Amino acid sequence: MPQAIVMPKLGNTVESAIILTWHVGVGDPVETGETLCEIETDKATVEVESSASGILLARFFEAGDEVPVMQNIAIVGREGESFDLLSPVSAAPAEHVTPGESYDHSDGKPDEEVFISPRARNLAARKGIDYNEIEGTGPDGRIIERDIRALIDQGVKMSPVAKAMLESGEYQIADERAVDKRITKSDLTPSSPAASPELKAIPLTGVRRTIAKRMLESLQTTAQLTLNASADATSLQDFRARLKSSDDALGLRGVTINDLLLFAVARTLPAFPELNALYVNDRILKHSRVHLGLAVDTPRGLLVPVIRGADALSLRALSYEAKRLADACRSGDIMPDELAGGSFTVTNLGGLGIESFTPILNPPQVGILGIGSINLKPVERDGAVAHVAHIGLSLTVNHQVVDGAPAARFLAQLCKNIASIDLLLAL
Amino acid sequence: MPKSLTIDPHEARQRSLLRAPDIPVNTYLSDPGAEAERFSSAELVNVYHDMRLIREFELVLDGFKKAGSYRGIQYNHLGPAHLSIGQEAAAVGQCIHLGPEDFILGSHRSHGEILAKGLSAIRALEDDCLLDIMENYMGGAALRVVESIDDFSDIESLAQAYLIYGTYAEIFARATGFNRGMGGSMHTFFPPFGIMPNNAIVGGSADIALGMALFKRINRKRGIVIANIGDSSVASGPVWEAMNFAAMDQYHTLWDADLGGAPPILFNFMNNFYGMGGQPQGETLGFGMLARVGLGVNAAAMHSERVDGYDPLAVADATRRKKEVLLAGQGPAMLDVITYRYSGHSPSDASSYRAKDEVEMWREQDAIRGFGSYLCANGHADNSWLESIEDAIVDKITGIVATAVDLDRSPRLHVAKDEIGTMMFSNERADALDDRGPEVTQPRAESRFEVTSSKHRFGLDEGGKPFPKLKTLTYAEAIFEAMLHRFYQDPTMIAFGEENRDWGGAFGAYRGLTEAIPYHRLFNTPISEAAIVGAAVGYALAGGRAVPELMYCDFMGRAGDEIFNQMAKWQAMSANALRMPLVLRVSVGMKYGAQHSQDWSSLVAHIPGLKVYFPATAYDAKGMLNQALRGTDPVVFFESQRLYSQPETLFAGGVPLEYYEIEEGEPYLHRPGSDITIVTIGAALYRALEAADRLRTEHGLSAEVIDARFLNPLNYEPIVQSLRKTGKLLLASDASERGSFLHTMASNISQLAFDFLDGPVAVLGARNWITPPAELDESFFPGADWMIDIIHERLLPLPGYQPRTRQGVAEIMTRNRAGI
Repeated sequence: MPQAIVMPKLGNTVESAIILTWHVGVGDPVETGETLCEIETDKATVEVESSASGILLARFFEAGDEVPVMQNIAIVGREGESFDLLSPVSAAPAEHVTPGESYDHSDGKPDEEVFISPRARNLAARKGIDYNEIEGTGPDGRIIERDIRALIDQGVKMSPVAKAMLESGEYQIADERAVDKRITKSDLTPSSPAASPELKAIPLTGVRRTIAKRMLESLQTTAQLTLNASADATSLQDFRARLKSSDDALGLRGVTINDLLLFAVARTLPAFPELNALYVNDRILKHSRVHLGLAVDTPRGLLVPVIRGADALSLRALSYEAKRLADACRSGDIMPDELAGGSFTVTNLGGLGIESFTPILNPPQVGILGIGSINLKPVERDGAVAHVAHIGLSLTVNHQVVDGAPAARFLAQLCKNIASIDLLLAL
Repeated sequence: MPKSLTIDPHEARQRSLLRAPDIPVNTYLSDPGAEAERFSSAELVNVYHDMRLIREFELVLDGFKKAGSYRGIQYNHLGPAHLSIGQEAAAVGQCIHLGPEDFILGSHRSHGEILAKGLSAIRALEDDCLLDIMENYMGGAALRVVESIDDFSDIESLAQAYLIYGTYAEIFARATGFNRGMGGSMHTFFPPFGIMPNNAIVGGSADIALGMALFKRINRKRGIVIANIGDSSVASGPVWEAMNFAAMDQYHTLWDADLGGAPPILFNFMNNFYGMGGQPQGETLGFGMLARVGLGVNAAAMHSERVDGYDPLAVADATRRKKEVLLAGQGPAMLDVITYRYSGHSPSDASSYRAKDEVEMWREQDAIRGFGSYLCANGHADNSWLESIEDAIVDKITGIVATAVDLDRSPRLHVAKDEIGTMMFSNERADALDDRGPEVTQPRAESRFEVTSSKHRFGLDEGGKPFPKLKTLTYAEAIFEAMLHRFYQDPTMIAFGEENRDWGGAFGAYRGLTEAIPYHRLFNTPISEAAIVGAAVGYALAGGRAVPELMYCDFMGRAGDEIFNQMAKWQAMSANALRMPLVLRVSVGMKYGAQHSQDWSSLVAHIPGLKVYFPATAYDAKGMLNQALRGTDPVVFFESQRLYSQPETLFAGGVPLEYYEIEEGEPYLHRPGSDITIVTIGAALYRALEAADRLRTEHGLSAEVIDARFLNPLNYEPIVQSLRKTGKLLLASDASERGSFLHTMASNISQLAFDFLDGPVAVLGARNWITPPAELDESFFPGADWMIDIIHERLLPLPGYQPRTRQGVAEIMTRNRAGI
């Protein structure tokens, strides 16, 4: 029996993944557990292992293809075995309904036919909408007027060919194009940048594409307000120095300034539940625990793993977990579920010399704290000007549900806690 | 039951014997001397002439049907020809003492009766009167042709040729026929000569003739009405109903004495001993002698007697005596006129059911030859004279027939011009069908209108709270106001049905009319739905406005022929020579189980020739009834028992006090919307409004709700306009779904608005079951839940919605396969 290898479902929210590289060619022998290919979801890169031993009889997709989860991607079996029925194209042979047989209306729609109401068809024709690729929301999946209206509301109307050409990055929409007309192949010209040898077009895939989408969504769907402050970093620096010189057996030498700040945030947030919250469907969901998102810069782009129950972790445990997650992100071993479920996020550009910036929310979270660099700040002390080390803090909140004053109160308390981080550790 | 008539138990329980009058059988004794005193020789020779003419007239048809020719004239007659060869004496004898003001109605075998009555009327009418009739009837079309046949020496001769030609042309389906070819052999008639509709439904003329007799009595018109029907028709329900209806005691006990008593109707059974091939006497019935049946109807036994129909003078004598009885208000009368047809039932009849000897025995007694011998024996004529009469008849008929079969001189209707379509309705408006003042028993201001006019005309106060029901005008009272208005406008208007008077109609719509309207304009009938509708048909055809009532829609089955074949057909079959100002009020029941809760509006909407109204609010009830009662067409006016006690709650202005009409065929948009259209017929309107409310509050959808109000005629334009906007249509009513008129609407709208449709037109009716007991109403009639469910399943899936009932398209397949 030939065995089908399926695209694994990597977490509850993952619907498809992109094949990055194949490690085995058709005709090659494979063993159970051997890596067949690497795939990338919007959150992680994963290796797909063979679930059988034998010869790789077929690969149904090429590197770069996006494949729905649970779809057959390859076949392992003995030389010469037939696997036609396992091919994703023929997996569901069309049932032929003959007169006299019982007729099940819901299954009567052949895959390739598109059912659409006359009204929806006319509207689509008038507006130059292509409806061949959409799922209807009418009875039995019929495309009805509201489906076409939804497409119109989404904006530009274009033919599937034109859409694919635009997505390749090698074409752009010609300037002299009739407004209000559907964009077709004839409306596209080769992109002038692509025509230039100096520029290289790189299509967005995987993480980059997700970032692109989510960042734009974040700014389009929330009302972001950023507050800047700085906290006295004297204790922070002193305490960090003591940790660094502590007994190696204590396992505290690797604790960083950033870990201390994560600790301060995790211990301050419980008193401000309106910031440790999600805003979903006109409802505020306040978290009883702090699941702290941690922005990690990786070669593939920004990833945000989540430290679960951060408010209950000791400084050392917190530090270990942050390091483990960051390493997993950088190596690509992070699991998709570890990238989800945060209640608040911390992002740190201080190490790169940035004093302050405007962090972008990670919806549906309502708060994100940006950490800047440590700089000397002139302060009045005993009637004279003294220069004291201060660390920059930039808090962005969703003003839809969090007003400026409570956000400021949180930030002020955080500054206080950072300034006396040693006392906070004693609590 | 009127309180003035007491049922005394002492009297009812008294021991006694019922004695019946004797029934005379063939008691006429021929007395040539007395007959010579009563009739001139010329008159007696006319009897011979008329019988001989009828014989020749039918020999022509016999020749055409059997051989395709008559005296060298070739013609293939496609239609029917039920001949009465052998029965001529019964027809001619009957008309000897009739005047033009007397009406006869016949059967499928009435050529002889038509000609006899026509010839009799021609002799009675003055020349200028005859000319006037021929010039004006159907624009003189037949006269033009007849004038081209010959130079007629006198008006009587011209009129005879006109009568013969008009009848032939009608039988041959020519536009120059008496009814422009729309009646044909079985339905030829000519009202100016008192020849009223002949009916191809056995016994169909009985209740229609009763209605015409009622018209004469109630409107104090001259003359009597004769229903010429066959011997076997006595066993049909409508004939029996008509005889009992004609014999009601109330004509003598309750109606104004100065009206003159019972309606003047003679049930004249042309007893040729065969009902097609069955023999009522001896085989299919048990009366022994048809005349006996009169004993079962009233104390006078309908003055019934058997008459020898092979002696024209015996028939004349009997008809004269019955006419006297009828004019004295002592009807109804009944004659069992024995006769015999030598020809078969129809040309296809091989006479397998009777012996040749039998036919020969009757031929030997042939009435025409016998009467010829009588004339010669008694010195009124001689053989050569009779022969010359015969030759003249043959010559005359040959010339006329040649013209009548000639398509150039006697063309057919231009069907391409939809000429038949334009005959279906008269579409006239008439405040009154006579000039005289209406007979009423109360000034209108003192009638119950005083009470209804002081009530709230809209059901809700300014805050939207309902007024007390007793202080608010209801749907039933809106009907009362429309009826009252027309009763005081049109002196010919009458209303009748079961419990119409003291009870005020079974549902109280006529409450107050008893006090305002005299008995002869508003009366109770026997429980005889066929005769109720049939009498109304006759009354309307005679020129009056009739408003019969059927207590429950379910009883329409009892009046099926009268609604489907009579009420619907006669305007077009008369080529609009007659009008049908008839409004049949039909109450759609509720909560009364399988035989009292059905909406059959679809059945009548299917029948060409009927207008069908179904108001759903008090405002529409009054305005639509006003519209119907000023028209001249047959309207089936449906009312709903769900609504009688409902005040107006939708038309913000309430029900106007003054007279107004709703434009015929126009649906009404009760609630504008943009996402879906719901069109209803009848009381389902209120459930559609409830569904619209819920669609708005629970699903954020805006539903447009339209009440069709009319089934026929119907202007689809507003519905198509609505679909341009919404693209989705649900049709709903309380009629059972299969064959519902909603499907006709759905089909038409799908074609008219195909390009605007965003889904198939959904039809929601009651289940195809018996109507269950009231407690299970919700399982049978469409409610707001069903409407939302069917919208969700078939038109617009509602996010997150869980339907409560099964309304998907798969149900169509399952239910139809099961036949339910």
